[in-house]
Amino acid sequence: MSEVQITKTIDARGAFCPGPLMELVKTIKRGNVGEVYELLSSDSGSAKDVPEWVNKMGHALVDSKQDGDFWRITVKKMK
Amino acid sequence: MEQPKLTVILVSGEMEKLHAGCLVSSVAAVSGMEVNIFVTMDALKAFRKDVIESKNFKTGEIGQEMLNKNIELYYQLLENAKDMGTCNVYGCAMAMDLMEWKKEDLVDLFDDIIGVTAFLGKAAGSQIVVM
Repeated sequence: MSEVQITKTIDARGAFCPGPLMELVKTIKRGNVGEVYELLSSDSGSAKDVPEWVNKMGHALVDSKQDGDFWRITVKKMK
Repeated sequence: MEQPKLTVILVSGEMEKLHAGCLVSSVAAVSGMEVNIFVTMDALKAFRKDVIESKNFKTGEIGQEMLNKNIELYYQLLENAKDMGTCNVYGCAMAMDLMEWKKEDLVDLFDDIIGVTAFLGKAAGSQIVVM
C-alpha cells in the first residue's frame, strides 16, 4: 500500500460503541473532501461497525488493522 | 430518493431499554436516516431534568455498569444524533397532561409535545421500533 497522508488521528480508545463511530462522524462532518482520518478504537464492535458505516455513507475505507489491543481504521472522506 | 425513515417509540423507563432505543436512533440518524422518536409513559420520566440531575435511573446489571464506566447515556446519545443527523424527538401529550408536566421539565431535546395522531403522521411509511 502506498503511503497515505493522515490528516487527523482520532483517539477513541476506551470509548464503547457507538462512541468511536460518533467521533469519526463528527470529524468527517467538519472535514474536507479528500482528507484522511485514522481512528483508534479499542472497541471490537466498532471494528466491524465503522467500515459498514463508511461504505454505506460513500466514504472510502483505506485500511483497518488490529494493532495490539486496539484497531487502526483509516478512512478517506469522499463527499 | 426520499430519505429512509425510522420511527422509535420509547415506552419503558428502564435504562437499558432507553439506551438501546437511543443507540439505534443515533446510529440511524448519522447513517442518513430521518429518525422520529416518540417518548411516552415511564420513558418520559427518564427525560425529566430532575431525574437526570439526581441520576435517579432505573437500572439493571448492564445499566449499572454503564454508570460505573461513565459512558454516554441515552439522552447524550440523542444530543449527538440531533447534532449530526435528522432526529426529531416528541413527547407524548397524554402522559404530560396526565402527570401535569411541562415541556420545561424535560431536558432540552424535545422538538414538540404532540398526540398520537400527529405522531403517526410523522411516522407514516417508516419502520417502527417499540422499546
